[in-house]
Amino acid sequence: MTAPAPEITVEQRVRQAIDRTIQRSIKGLEYISTGDPAVGLTPKDTLFQKGTLKLYHYRAQTDDVYRVPVMLVMSLVSKPYILDLTPGQSLVEFLVQKGFDVYMIDWGVPRPEDSRLRLEDYVLDFIPDCAERVLKDSGEDELSIVGYCMGGQLATMYASLHPDGPMKNLACFTTPVDANGMVLFRQWTDRRYFDVDRVVDTLGNVPPELLYASFDMLKPAARVAKNIQLWDNLWNDEFVKSYRMFDRWAADQIPFPGETFRQVTKDMMWDNKFVKNEMEIGGKRVDLGNIKKPFLHVVAEHDHIVPYEAAKPLVPMVGSEDKKEVMLKGGHVSLVAGGNAIFRLWPQLESWLGERSV
Amino acid sequence: MANEVNMDPLALWRDWVANSERQWNSFLNNAMATDEFSQTMGRMMDVYLNVQKQMNEVMGRYLQLINVPTRNDILAVGERLSQIEERLISIEDGVKAAGRAAATAAAPTNGAAPAARPARTRKPAKS
Repeated sequence: MTAPAPEITVEQRVRQAIDRTIQRSIKGLEYISTGDPAVGLTPKDTLFQKGTLKLYHYRAQTDDVYRVPVMLVMSLVSKPYILDLTPGQSLVEFLVQKGFDVYMIDWGVPRPEDSRLRLEDYVLDFIPDCAERVLKDSGEDELSIVGYCMGGQLATMYASLHPDGPMKNLACFTTPVDANGMVLFRQWTDRRYFDVDRVVDTLGNVPPELLYASFDMLKPAARVAKNIQLWDNLWNDEFVKSYRMFDRWAADQIPFPGETFRQVTKDMMWDNKFVKNEMEIGGKRVDLGNIKKPFLHVVAEHDHIVPYEAAKPLVPMVGSEDKKEVMLKGGHVSLVAGGNAIFRLWPQLESWLGERSV
Repeated sequence: MANEVNMDPLALWRDWVANSERQWNSFLNNAMATDEFSQTMGRMMDVYLNVQKQMNEVMGRYLQLINVPTRNDILAVGERLSQIEERLISIEDGVKAAGRAAATAAAPTNGAAPAARPARTRKPAKS
């Protein structure tokens, strides 16, 4: 039960409106004149580097840690600092402070020569290699993997193709499997009008501007509305700080490796092979039924990038007995980062992973 | 109290902004989910790719003429650098592994942990 809000008189309301207008002018100038907020601040060491890939190990902040280390796998379309935004709003920091031994794969910003990287490179080379290094560094023989969005796809492909591998638990956030659920993306990449071969052959990596524009087009009016919302809340330091961090991340797109884009477009968007268990990686069929380890999939109720219809089949397809889908309020990004994630996703992940990490 | 809130013109305006955003998104999404839109986008992409291809070719020829490395030349150098980088990493890995092995061999046998790493004994808090 919430306490009733204190009554505000008309005079107080007018005073508040004037005060906020003044604050908006002052802070508006501050907003324009200050640089981007610092992100990704949780102390870490780079354990391994290969090309643009970096494997980070976050420094422990507790006297003891869970036995099983956790490896975070990021998406290929965005930078990983969304999981380590700022102190107090960082999933990585939260996990470290709760006693998890956390590692993260940062794919980096693909270079032009990385345009030939395929899903095989990620699923059969980079992830197993990083997993092995995590085991070696931690001295353990198993690890948990957490994948966000496309990172979840890579992690599930890895898990499916390495059923006897060292993975003990797998948690995915908003991971799409059924292209039919991604109505707009599917429509825009319709094979009758979208020549993916020509795109990749001409451009190599898919430029970040193209990806940014396509994500923006999913909510075309949001940019204007967000700017209005920002102006309305310019007096509120917390809102502005949070807005800037998310805005920075959303605009900080990276190129998408060309050959992987070709594969994803043809196999996943056109032929929808992932949901049919017909994907082939390095000549091996990706059958999600091969995943027998404890599995958690967290989806967001208002996800406009990966609508629920696209993510829904994942849990039923996974072969584990210990599997669970959790739907939480929020959108694609606010599920993992920001004020609401602190109370929704993070405790759920901590409790699910904690009891399976001893 | 409810009347007080309803009287706030800014609250009404905020509601209007939120509703307008929702309506515009829905309207534009419907328009973008059509074959016509995809076809137009495909054509625009074609034009963009043609321009890009022509530019690459013309620039490549021009740079060759004035004896300046082209994009492809720089990419080739980048690729060779990546290969060197990978070899260096594997050498570095080998050196590190040898160093670790040497440190383990030379470590005192009094049972002391070689590095200050937290114990892996944590258990979930009982609720």
